[in-house]
Amino acid sequence: MYNPRDIIDLIADNVRKTRNPFGIPNFLCNRWWKNSAIPEKGEALLFTGLMYQFVPYIDQSTRYLEKFEDTPWADFVRYGKYVPNYLAGMGLDLLTPGKEKKRFNTILQNIAKILTKSNVDFYYQSELDSYSGILLYDLGDQEGFVRHAEFVAAKLKRAGVKSLITVDPHTTYALKVLYPKYTGQRFDVKTYFERVNLTSKNGGGRVTLHDPCFYGRYLELSDVPQKILRDLDIECVNVRNSGLFTHCCGGPAESISPKLSKEVLHRRVEELQSTGVPIVAMCPICLGNLEKSGAQVEDLSSLIARCAA
Amino acid sequence: MITFVNPNFAKELERFGEDTASECFNCGTCAAICPLIYEHFPRRMIRYIQLGAKDRILENAQELWRCLHCGLCTQTCPREADPGEVILSLKRFVVDTWRRS
Repeated sequence: MYNPRDIIDLIADNVRKTRNPFGIPNFLCNRWWKNSAIPEKGEALLFTGLMYQFVPYIDQSTRYLEKFEDTPWADFVRYGKYVPNYLAGMGLDLLTPGKEKKRFNTILQNIAKILTKSNVDFYYQSELDSYSGILLYDLGDQEGFVRHAEFVAAKLKRAGVKSLITVDPHTTYALKVLYPKYTGQRFDVKTYFERVNLTSKNGGGRVTLHDPCFYGRYLELSDVPQKILRDLDIECVNVRNSGLFTHCCGGPAESISPKLSKEVLHRRVEELQSTGVPIVAMCPICLGNLEKSGAQVEDLSSLIARCAA
Repeated sequence: MITFVNPNFAKELERFGEDTASECFNCGTCAAICPLIYEHFPRRMIRYIQLGAKDRILENAQELWRCLHCGLCTQTCPREADPGEVILSLKRFVVDTWRRS
């Protein structure tokens, strides 16, 4: 296990100075929208919170953390804060495989595609899309989280944003529940799958949904993806721990203890694989983590896009 | 090991979040359901709050960050003591203590 204080200080410093937990300039990691025809004006802003874009970087940094956990080298994390933020961020960017970045960008492009196909009036402006600060909240840096959330909320309010379409459970929870509570700013927040309205007979398969803790329990949204898949003629094979009682994939422990994260992951994957059908994730952290086990996992948006085509 | 008890600790903790630790009657449901399956977590930490064992919490502070914030303990707590949020409040308290030190 790493010293949480070192990790928190590093992430908090990055968010404060670069608005990005890794210190990577946002324009470098947020490129999924380039060459797409998404309008710049509309009723609801597509707000990715940059979480899908972060997964390749999380995977890359976790690989290093895994290597040095519980060794004398682990203490060197505390010196990370003395490396200029953007320099460290650019270094991580160079080390992260482009193929992976492209793969996760495709997921966001699929989300845009299925929203368009569902006739949703949405738009995208990369300068309004920001990291929500949720990791600071989860790690207990309340002061850092509120400061960052106020910055993001003020930017959205200044731009006249009222409605948001989110793509991951952590950003959704932050914008829907935490921002009103801690910044006093309210937005109409809906996940992309709450806006999707598609029917097809192209499905025909069976899948097991892994409910993320924040959709299943905190936001109680598990019924929505089940209904979407039913409309696409896909059967969901549920595991015992789902919906309100879903089980964590271990992802949130990645930054503090990759070892612990793996322990929890293997227990969950075993349960999900017991159904014998492909696993579907709907959270970037869960997707990245479940894939580490070697299991066959697909993102919900990719499945919808494939079956609704 | 002797530990000093701070009877005002629960009060001190109020400004960091949930004030529900006193609702807990230590049934252990949270520790049984927690994916960590680890040394009575989070029950032990909640007991420390009830006792005012502030030093014990600070000595074992690292344990708090093993919590995945998955919310299963809060979902199943028969006393609605919200153990998940209590752990998050403790994290905030510890971060604040570190930063002041």
